[in-house]
Amino acid sequence: MKTLIIELRKEKRTGVIPLLLLVGILGAAYAFVNFIVRKDTLLNLPLAPMDVLLTQLYGMIMVLNMFGIVVAACMVYNMEFKGTAIKKMYMLPISVPKMYLCKFFILTVLLLTAIVLQNLALLKIGISDLPKGTFEMDTLLKFTVYSFITSMPTLSFMVLVSSRSPNMWMPLGIGVAGFLSGMALAGSNVSLLLVHPFVVMLKPAVAMSAQPDNGIAIIAMAETSLLLGIGLWMAKHLRYE
Amino acid sequence: MDYIITTEQLTKKYKNFISVNQVSMHIQKGSIYGFLGPNGAGKSTTMKMLLGLTSPTGGRFTVDGGHFPDDRISILKKVGSFIESPSFYANLTGRENLDIIRRILGLPENAVNDALELVGLAEFGNRLAKKYSLGMKQRLGLAGALLGRPPILILDEPTNGLDPSGIHEIRNLIKSLPSLYDCTVLISSHMLSEIELMADDIGILNHGRLLFEGSLDELRQNAVQAGFAADHKISSANLENMFLSMIDKDNAARKQRARL
Repeated sequence: MKTLIIELRKEKRTGVIPLLLLVGILGAAYAFVNFIVRKDTLLNLPLAPMDVLLTQLYGMIMVLNMFGIVVAACMVYNMEFKGTAIKKMYMLPISVPKMYLCKFFILTVLLLTAIVLQNLALLKIGISDLPKGTFEMDTLLKFTVYSFITSMPTLSFMVLVSSRSPNMWMPLGIGVAGFLSGMALAGSNVSLLLVHPFVVMLKPAVAMSAQPDNGIAIIAMAETSLLLGIGLWMAKHLRYE
Repeated sequence: MDYIITTEQLTKKYKNFISVNQVSMHIQKGSIYGFLGPNGAGKSTTMKMLLGLTSPTGGRFTVDGGHFPDDRISILKKVGSFIESPSFYANLTGRENLDIIRRILGLPENAVNDALELVGLAEFGNRLAKKYSLGMKQRLGLAGALLGRPPILILDEPTNGLDPSGIHEIRNLIKSLPSLYDCTVLISSHMLSEIELMADDIGILNHGRLLFEGSLDELRQNAVQAGFAADHKISSANLENMFLSMIDKDNAARKQRARL
């Protein structure tokens, strides 16, 4: 708890918290505007209304979330490297892996908040704009959890990369490369490509059904845990030189 | 002798370069130990090893009886440090930076003001650290080391970047610390004239090797024996010449060994 409070205090003026809240608000606003403008076109698609609501709007929302994760992860460690503050942390009686875990936790909670804001917008649209009797609350909830779980490998990967790169442009470049390669590979059915965290995050966006794919969810959770474990191990064993 | 920091054959070897070569140091409790050597002698690397920032490739050391990495937290609770350049969060003010350290150390809130006043930074405490001048950053780094008045201080060239009056002020502050609250100070510099004004004991390092360890008086005696002071009156200039001659002799011997 003490480490978490310290980490939150460090975030002051970095813009990490407003950034991910803004991503949530922008995603929600995009969903509203898109559904107002394209309502008839969307509802005339040969898909179930819930599939339209959840899959047709998620693409752009996911891109916003992905960029939010990449930039926030870069910022959260850039402040440590900028004034070599991380060096001071290694010289103080604080657990560096705990510090890493707290940063991961803060970003996770912020991402979850952004996703909740976006899905609240979808809830409002679903209740007021979908044909009567077609809105399914449990489908929306399942998709919310699914989109959160599939976003986590990207977050876990970006925190890991940012924690090892004193130059912020490195993780930012890796994030952009991850996004572009993910976009190119997401449509493929080759299971091996799911080792790519960005591909996992893109999967719900390229699916035509709002029903979660349990296999992808399990892979996402395994990747998140593995990358988090590697990050914690590195924080503990690879010293500041 | 009551030693608070000891190293035994401490070595740090990089791929094809030995930064610290079998250094055995003995730092007495309550003393100021001046760690002297030209740039690149291995002073900072030795200090980094003592703080667990880098791991030794050979030898061992103890800090108040504790070993890295097992006793990392308990050692770092007792050590205030300042290595190479000041480390700070650029997005936070000086006061906020110290407050982060205070929270980590579990100190009362007034510890921040105490440290700011000690280094003469009280009136600039609410300014963003990134807007500090080099001297102010240096003072902030020192304040971070002095926060909570730790029993051991490891300071790597703490007067770098300070103006002459700042150097004088910080030097007097460091000098007063052992009597002020019974702490031990390990301070590095490449200037003997500076160390001479503060230190009780001296260690001279060159190319990773400890050439001399002892009290200032012992160094003075060595200078007399080596013929650096004809009338047994040792001035700072004599001592400086003695130090430079030691370094030159060692460098010449190294070159000789390299040729063979």
